[in-house]
Formats: sequence, C-alpha cells, structure tokens
Amino acid sequence: MKPKVAFFDFAGCEGDQLQVANLEEDLLALLGQVEVVSFREVMKGHSDNYDIAFVEGSCTRLQDEDRLKQIRKNAKLVVAIGSCAAIGGINSLKNYKDLDSVKKVVYGESGKLFDSYAARPIDAIIPVDAYVYGCPIEREDFLHVVKSLLLGKKPEIVTYPVCVECKKNENVCAFERGQFCVGTVTRAGCNSCCINEGTICWGCRGLVDNPNENSHKEVLIKYGLTVDDAIGKFKLYFGWQEAKR
Amino acid sequence: MKIISKDDFTDFLNALIGDDSWNVIGIKSKGSKFAFGPLESAEELRLDYDVSLLPPKKYFFPQRETLFTYDLSEGFSTKNPEEPKPMVIVGVHPYDIVALLHMDEIFRETKSDPYYFKKRDASIIIGVNIQRISKWNFSSFMGCDVIDYGYDLMLTDLGNRYAINVGSQKGGELLSKYGKNVTAALARDIQIAGQKKREVMGLSQQKFDFPPELIPELLKDSYTKSGFWEKHSEKCLACGSCVLVCPTCYCFDVKDNPDLSLGHGERIRTWDGCLLEDFAKIASGENFRATRPTRYRHRYFKKGKYLFDRFGFISCVGCGRCSSNCLPDIANPVNLLNDMYHESINSGSQIAASTTEPDVNIQTEGNIDYVPKLATVIKKQPMTSNEILFEIRLDGGSELGHKPGQFVEVSVFGIGEAPISLSSSPTKKETFELCVRKLGNVTTKLHKLDVGDKVGIRGPFGNGFDVNSLTGKDLLFIAGGLGIAPLRSLFNYVLDNRKDYGRVFLLYGCKEPKELLFGDELAESTSRGDVEYKSTVNWCPENETWTGNIGVITTLIPQVSFDPERTIAILCGPPVMYKFVIADLKAKKVHDDHIIMSLERRMKCGVGKCGHCQINHLFVCKDGPVFNYSKIKGSPEAL
Repeated sequence: MKPKVAFFDFAGCEGDQLQVANLEEDLLALLGQVEVVSFREVMKGHSDNYDIAFVEGSCTRLQDEDRLKQIRKNAKLVVAIGSCAAIGGINSLKNYKDLDSVKKVVYGESGKLFDSYAARPIDAIIPVDAYVYGCPIEREDFLHVVKSLLLGKKPEIVTYPVCVECKKNENVCAFERGQFCVGTVTRAGCNSCCINEGTICWGCRGLVDNPNENSHKEVLIKYGLTVDDAIGKFKLYFGWQEAKR
Repeated sequence: MKIISKDDFTDFLNALIGDDSWNVIGIKSKGSKFAFGPLESAEELRLDYDVSLLPPKKYFFPQRETLFTYDLSEGFSTKNPEEPKPMVIVGVHPYDIVALLHMDEIFRETKSDPYYFKKRDASIIIGVNIQRISKWNFSSFMGCDVIDYGYDLMLTDLGNRYAINVGSQKGGELLSKYGKNVTAALARDIQIAGQKKREVMGLSQQKFDFPPELIPELLKDSYTKSGFWEKHSEKCLACGSCVLVCPTCYCFDVKDNPDLSLGHGERIRTWDGCLLEDFAKIASGENFRATRPTRYRHRYFKKGKYLFDRFGFISCVGCGRCSSNCLPDIANPVNLLNDMYHESINSGSQIAASTTEPDVNIQTEGNIDYVPKLATVIKKQPMTSNEILFEIRLDGGSELGHKPGQFVEVSVFGIGEAPISLSSSPTKKETFELCVRKLGNVTTKLHKLDVGDKVGIRGPFGNGFDVNSLTGKDLLFIAGGLGIAPLRSLFNYVLDNRKDYGRVFLLYGCKEPKELLFGDELAESTSRGDVEYKSTVNWCPENETWTGNIGVITTLIPQVSFDPERTIAILCGPPVMYKFVIADLKAKKVHDDHIIMSLERRMKCGVGKCGHCQINHLFVCKDGPVFNYSKIKGSPEAL
C-alpha cells in the first residue's frame, strides 16, 4: 500500500509546496509511490489519515502549537520543508525587533488584535524526522529526502558548507566577483544553485552544525563589508539558530 | 622539437574539433578566471591563462561518477558505464601534468582503478609551458614548473609560433595527422624556448625559506607541536576548498542514488575531503578527526609525509590553488611550512634531509571491483535487541575464502554499503556469518531483511589475523562489546584447530547482561575444558541476573594467570578500551609485539583509496584492520 502523505502550511509563502507542485514529470513518478491525501495548494479534499506530513512555514503564534502537535499525533513521520519550518527562516528577522513595533509595521493600529510571538522552526515545538532545507526547497533535494524515507532510510543531511558544491561546480568565488557570500557557513545540499547563476549564497539552508562564524565575519569585513553589514548577513536566515547558539 | 606557426596551430586544433571521434577539451576563460571545458573552436583557447579553477583531474576522476547502475526489477542486474570517448586536453600546465602522474600511481597501487584508467588511457594531453604565473604558484620549488615527461605534446609560446615537444608516439601521430606545416626546430627555437620557460618561473611570488625536500623531515617532529596546529587552523572554516581544488587530492565517498521507481538506481562516487567535518566519522557517531586542528594537520601530513613514505613524492605540485581559494588565507603551504621551519630552527632543532629515500614499491593486483557479488541471507538469528547474526551464502556456489579478522562491504541497493567484520571461522566454508549492530542506514535496513533476501557482498578486505604466527602460542582474547564479532572468526578457527595452540583465554565484557553476545556459544566453549573464559558487565540492572564479574574489562585481567613470554593478546572493542587494556597488559610484562588488535574506522572503498579509514599513514582497510601494537604505537591517531 502506498504511504499517504499530507502537506501543511504555517507562516510562510507556500513557495516550497509550489516547488513540489512544479515537479513536472517527477510528480507523476512520485504519485506512483505515494498517495496525496491533503495538499491545499493543488487539490480539494483533506484527510487526517496520513503517514507522512510535510510541514511548511514557521511557528509564530501560540495557537500554531496545537495544530503542530495534532499533525505530529496523526503522522508517522514529520518532515519540515523549507527554511521557515526547518530553521525559522526569514521570519526570524522579526525576533531581533520589539514585537509591538513589528505588529504595528505589518498591521498598523489593528496590530494589537493579532497574536504573535518570536518566529521559530517547527522542531522547537514537535520532534521532526527529516528536513528539506532551502528557500525555496530544491526539487532534487526534496526528492532525495522522499526517496530515502520511502526506502526506510534516514535522509543524509550534509554537514559541510556550500563551498564544497561551489568548488565542484567550478564557480568563480563570489568574493572574487566582488560580492559577499555566506556559503562558507551555510549547509550545502542545494548544489550551490544561487552561485551557479552568478549571485551569492544568502544562507537559506541555515548554518552548518559547527560553523566558524567569527572567522567568516572576519572574512566579510576583510573583503570590505562594514561590521553591521556582516552581522546583517548572518541575521537574514540564521536568526533562530544564532539565538540558540 | 617541432615548430608550428600559430595560424597552423589554430588549423590543427580546428581540424581536431571537427573530427567527431575526439572529445576536445581546452583551457577557456570563465568570468575573470579560467576553466577547462569543451572547445567549440580554437579561438576559445586561452593558453595565456594563469591557473584553472579546477585541475584537469576532473576528466579522469570526475566530481561525480557512476560506478554502475542497478536494476532490482527482475532479480538483480548491474550495468557498467559506457566506454569513454577518446579525449584531447589542450593547455595543461606542467604542474598539473605532474599531478596526473601522482594520481596514476595512487590509482594503480594495490588495486588498479578501472574508471580512472579507462579515461586516462583514452586521452591525449597537450601541455603548455606557463606563460603567465599565478601569484600563488610555487611549482618551481616543487620541481614541477618545467618537465620533460608526462605529456603527449608540449607547447612553448615563441611569439608567432609554438615550439612543440613530442612526448609520446600517439602525440606525434596526432600532430602529423591533423597538423600542417610542422617543421623541425632550429637552434634558435631551442634556445628561445629555454629562455621563455625560465623567464616566467623567475616571477614566482612565493618563496620557501628552506629546501622543500626537507618537508617530510620537518613534519616528522611537528605532529605534536604545542599549539601550532591550533593557532594555524583557528580561522579554518572546514569548507574543504583547499582539498577540493587540489590536483593531487583523491579522497571520495560512495553513495547510492535510487530513482523514483526505487528499484533502479546508480551507485556513485563523489569527491570528498579530509577537511570536512564528517570525513572520519563512523555510524556509531565516533569521529576520529572531530576537530579542525586535527583535520587541518592531516592534510599536511598526508601530502608531506604519509604519501611521501609510500610513494616517495611530496604530494604537492605547487599550483597554489589551495592558497588562492582559502578565504581566511590560512591554506598556503608556503606560509605554514616556513613558519614551521623558523619555529623549529629557533627552538634549536637541526633539520637535515633524510639520507635514505623511502622504499617505493608499487604493486598492482588486478582491478578494483565496485560491483558487489550477489548473496542470500540463509539464517537470521537475533542476539540482543540491537544485534542480529546473519548467515550468508554467495550465490552461484562460490566461497568467500576469507581469513579470520577480515571484513566485507555489505550492500543494500538503494541504501548503500557498510563495512562489517566477518564473525565466522573460515573453517566454515559454504557460508559466512556477520554479527550486525543496528546503527546506520545500511545496518538498520539489514535488520529488516528476511531469510531468502538478497544482499551485495564485496571482499573479503583487509589483512586479517596471521594465524601461522600464532601457532604454538598461548592466546589471550580480550573483547569488549561488539568487539567479540571479529574476534569470534579467529576464536572459532583456533577451537577448530585447537591442538595447534597452547592455552586459550577469552575475556569478554559488555555494558550490561542483556548486551552479551554469543552467550550460549561461549558458555559451551568453556565446557570443553580447554578454554578459560571469563566475562564481565559494567553494571547489572536490579531486575536482571548476573552471576559473573562486575566491572570494566580490565578487571578481568588479574583474574587469569598467563605467561607473558608465550602469550599473544588479541584485542577488539570500542575505541576507548584499547589504551586501558594495553596499559594493564604492559604492566603484566606482555611484549609490545605480543599485542595485536583489530581496529574499526570508516572503511568505504576497501582498497586504500578513498581515505576515510586512514590512521596517520595507515589504511585500516588494507594495512589493517589487524595491527600489531609494536607497529602502531607510534601512530597517535590509532588508539
């Protein structure tokens, strides 16, 4: 029997689910292996009977926690997809600011009516079995994780930074191009897709397990970034992880 | 030496490109840098480059390579990759050619790597002498700036023409087939070519303060230099850039890549690097080079000492890629080694080159076979909540033919391959046994297999125990936890040939009673009366029964009376066990060379290539896993 899978979203842009919906011919092959019972972005209908839950988005409110716990209860495996769910993501930028002023900026005076707390990844609330990092997720990486789970394998999560993939792809280093990159401390697995296209790594897959942050901040400053800008580079995606370290 | 005008060289190259039987690669610009890539026309060629981003090694040992594809839909079948198309690589600098010669020896040693040599044999290298030197280049110090061997053709730019040295018959044939107006060099050409080569090398901005042939000797005394490696690696990002761009690095990982049908897939190998955090980590979580300084140091020792002792060369050609790719600027070997040299001299050390050259003896015994043999699970016997004993038979009736102490690589297709030590004695011929602890992906999947299911087997690998040298001796087996699994292959062999040995002791310890392996079997061997068996547990929970000793394994040693003169101690256990047991054995006056042990590391390829199982200069997969203490006590990474 094919495992039943369901997709859920919390605070996020749904871009990761869009990546899944855009799998094209791989989507058909994937549907040969799993039965999708809930996927708001592409289908009607919903069932609470599922084996694997893919969760996108970060947890930003107290009431999200109950829903997450219910998903955990229903599912055999919970997979965090995308930066927001896996590492807190860009939403964690607000954690550096005073909550009331954030609410005011976003919702104006009615901000008082909205519940919100510091953005966090879903593993701050429930145990997570596997992660697909990225903003958005890479389709190949998503398939790698899904195939591993279907084979009863714990998906390998690389512990090395994006530089490894950049070197293998023979990219000219972003620093050589006069740009500033955080690929040296960011978990690889994306095949250095952004640098391949001539831009930089923003860190969307989060910090590696043991980053040498101070050394890389020194590098950023050595190459001409101000101290504030170097710190800012780390805030963009690493907020929750840095606060925890 | 031949001469060809630049226009005629362009025609030569375009004629080659126009012939579909060749895959023509050349040095081209990439952004502000240079990279080797397929040439569409001779105009793309940039022989005035300084250094390529990656060395041409990538064409023989690619970043990612399919070892074979598998298909489980009808039983099991594998397919090897297609034969490579003949290739010409144009514009290789001398240092990168020397690096390929290094790779040739490394990939030939012990077992030849067919994936590498198929591509290498199908290739023609057209070198070019350096016209513009990278500011990081120190190839002149490494003797790799100007060469007269290793290429098929070698170009030197003489302004309006190239001087061509023909280095091989196939190079000469290529030139005469596709080249027009190739003439013999005149005396002036030879002279100008000589000047051009020297001119560029004089511009090197890197400088060793001592003769680089002292590097192995210098390193020898620097392994434990207080604070030195910590200081130099403090800024290391563990990004692996230095080793990934290196023309002489060859470490790799092997993985399975199933497709979405899950029944088909490929086994691939990809570049890996010893600077990366998990490089020496095994499934149990133990990481044998867990810290940045230890990995940073390993790179220098591998290149400057370990490979030197094995092959007689310093595994560096001076291309400077590591230096230029290191963002915190800590990877430049010239800086580090100069610093090491001055520190040594200032502390009063005398460094002189060794008067004896290493004894280089490159032996090749056939090809590496990455395709496993198919085998069937015959019996599956749960031993504890975490260990299962599998009995396995190779399909097609062949015998494994192992020695006690060897290991096999076990494949579960789609998941991967894991090294497992053989638990059965070779006296049991038709089948073999593996005691498998559930730890990583492969072993977890193995536990789910049923009798009749298929696995892949490569091997046996490793040296195994030298049973002949044990004949007539008293044997003291000391096993901790899962360490009983490899020792059992020897223990059972000894029992099957009992008269050949003196007294036999077995000391076996594990954490708690429920973790005891082969309990009934070991109890039975005690009842034979010719084995002295003692077991211990570290603790016994209240609801369990244990009548034996309680305490760590070393508490058993005083409980047996053995003659240190005629006893060989045979050890296997968790990494933490060895040094304590050895200390107690030495206190009992056991000679160093009477202590032998089986060690565990991340054996991936099984043939001393991939680099993961390396203990200092030793490869556990081929120099071990069985080591004599007297031979390994000088290797600080061993115990």
